[in-house]
Amino acid sequence: MRRFVFPRAAAAGVAMLLLVPLAAVGSYFQHLLVMWMLFALMAVSLNIIVGYLGELSFGHAAFFGLGAYTSGMLTVFGGVPFWLCLIAAPLVSGAFGLAIGYASLRIKGPQFAILTLGFGAILHSVFLNWVDFTNGPLGITKISPPRIPLLGLEISGGIPYYYLVLFFLLVSAYLCRSLMRSRTGRAFIAVRENDMLATSLGIDVFRYKLLGFVAATMMVGVAGCLYAHYLKVITPGLFTLHYMAPMVIMVIIGGKGTVTGPIVGSLVYVALLEVLRASGSMRMLVFAVLLTLSVIFLPGGLVSLLPFWRGQRGGARQHD
Amino acid sequence: MGAVFFQQLANGLVNGMGYVLIAVGLTLVFGVLRIVNFAHGEFYMLGSFATFFAMSLLGVHYIVAVLMATVVVAGVGVLANQVLFRPLRREHEFTILMVSLGLSLVLANGGELVFGADPKYISSPFADDAVELGSVFLTWQRIIVLVAASVLICLVYLFIRFTRMGKMMQATAQNREGAALSGVNIDWVHTYTFALACGLAAAAGALLGPTAVIFPTIGEWAVLKAFIVVVMGGLGSMGGAVAGGLILGIVEALGANYISIAFKDAIGYGIVVAVLLWRPAGLFAPRQ
Repeated sequence: MRRFVFPRAAAAGVAMLLLVPLAAVGSYFQHLLVMWMLFALMAVSLNIIVGYLGELSFGHAAFFGLGAYTSGMLTVFGGVPFWLCLIAAPLVSGAFGLAIGYASLRIKGPQFAILTLGFGAILHSVFLNWVDFTNGPLGITKISPPRIPLLGLEISGGIPYYYLVLFFLLVSAYLCRSLMRSRTGRAFIAVRENDMLATSLGIDVFRYKLLGFVAATMMVGVAGCLYAHYLKVITPGLFTLHYMAPMVIMVIIGGKGTVTGPIVGSLVYVALLEVLRASGSMRMLVFAVLLTLSVIFLPGGLVSLLPFWRGQRGGARQHD
Repeated sequence: MGAVFFQQLANGLVNGMGYVLIAVGLTLVFGVLRIVNFAHGEFYMLGSFATFFAMSLLGVHYIVAVLMATVVVAGVGVLANQVLFRPLRREHEFTILMVSLGLSLVLANGGELVFGADPKYISSPFADDAVELGSVFLTWQRIIVLVAASVLICLVYLFIRFTRMGKMMQATAQNREGAALSGVNIDWVHTYTFALACGLAAAAGALLGPTAVIFPTIGEWAVLKAFIVVVMGGLGSMGGAVAGGLILGIVEALGANYISIAFKDAIGYGIVVAVLLWRPAGLFAPRQ
């Protein structure tokens, strides 16, 4: 039944995402839509690690920062065009992901979470303190927006950028969905549910985990590149918990282990961030409480409520 | 050359003992309750702010304020355990880790709301006078950190090793169900462990507070250092926390002096990574 229902729901979702900007009046609202797309891309990539591999990486923001800095530094210091940055950013993030994943995926659970936190802290500290190379705490400014090579058009701000990021989000979501329906995806689930059993079935747990980890870091590298060229200013703050905690919140509140969960979670995050803007530092407090309540009372996230609305309890979880 | 070396060694030792004091609580909570407590650093933060407010609002002496902060924050820790972690005891470790992250964000942001985001300074009467030991200069405050931390760690060790409650904590750490079957009251063990761990973190905050300024997000720093220390030493091992804390403190101090002060933190983490590549479970990983 799910096979029949899902494509139609997915098509409706994609159509909605394509049409949303038509309703977006005012550049501020358009800005929020772009931020939603960027956060969604980050959350979808973290979801590969949290939702599919079943590990918690606290270093994901560092790979986001790596992608953003690779792109920003190439553009500003080297004059490299956007499209090449878009290739370089995931390569650099992925290369670090390979090295760090290779070192830290030997251990699992809480130790893995802490170790990735440590790696993230190393990268943050290097980018903050290597002032000659990265501009230190001042960050990189005046990153030029993407330019279409032949036409010479700039993709900057609002609706065009929304569609640019949406494209990458849809590709990522589609890749995730195909991945989870492939042999590799089933191996991921086996590793997540019981790694001992998976090993005994001949699944090379370490290799699959490394594969998923590198894929996720490359994806978030793309997000970093798109983020840098949209906001035009990046600082070492990108590497820290200030970006890590929101990513985790989006994945958990939306629903880990599903394709749509992180996208819904990031929408909730961006929307609430705006609604609560007036309350200043109360905002993170509200998110922290939401995270805690969601973990305890709604472990499947918001998307796990959907089948109840439709009145079909059977298909409560997509990939479990 | 020699003088600088010994000065940095002494600084590293003091910082390291501070790390040990934070990390021991974290490793205890993991060992006994199997909880990776992300909010541990916030109890450090609460400890330093409790000291600050006890001194500025109640006007008590620094030493009294330290004791009050320790007791009050230990109470807060017990409350957190009762309200959050006790009901979730049977949940997956992932859930508990996320809940502790939530608690950490709540306390840090709540702290910013209540205490204000501006840095504060605990004016300890011992912070200004320095002592000269041979060629090494240390403020009295840093000597107090060193001595108090050493005494506290020894007391905790003796408590766990020789008292009835300490032995029950060991039994729970080894096998929770087995301990419960032999009549150990697991609830009490958990409450004691949490009180002890949070009290130690608060004491660390109260003692280290005057060596720098304090601000509500300082817990993030504290928990990161403590995590690094316990992962290096082996999660759940007290000896590992002591060794890890001292190694981290001394490597940071010497690295800052001889390599680059800007990369002090990166050098510290680099050591941890090197240790973990060699022994993935940490230096003194307890048998599982």
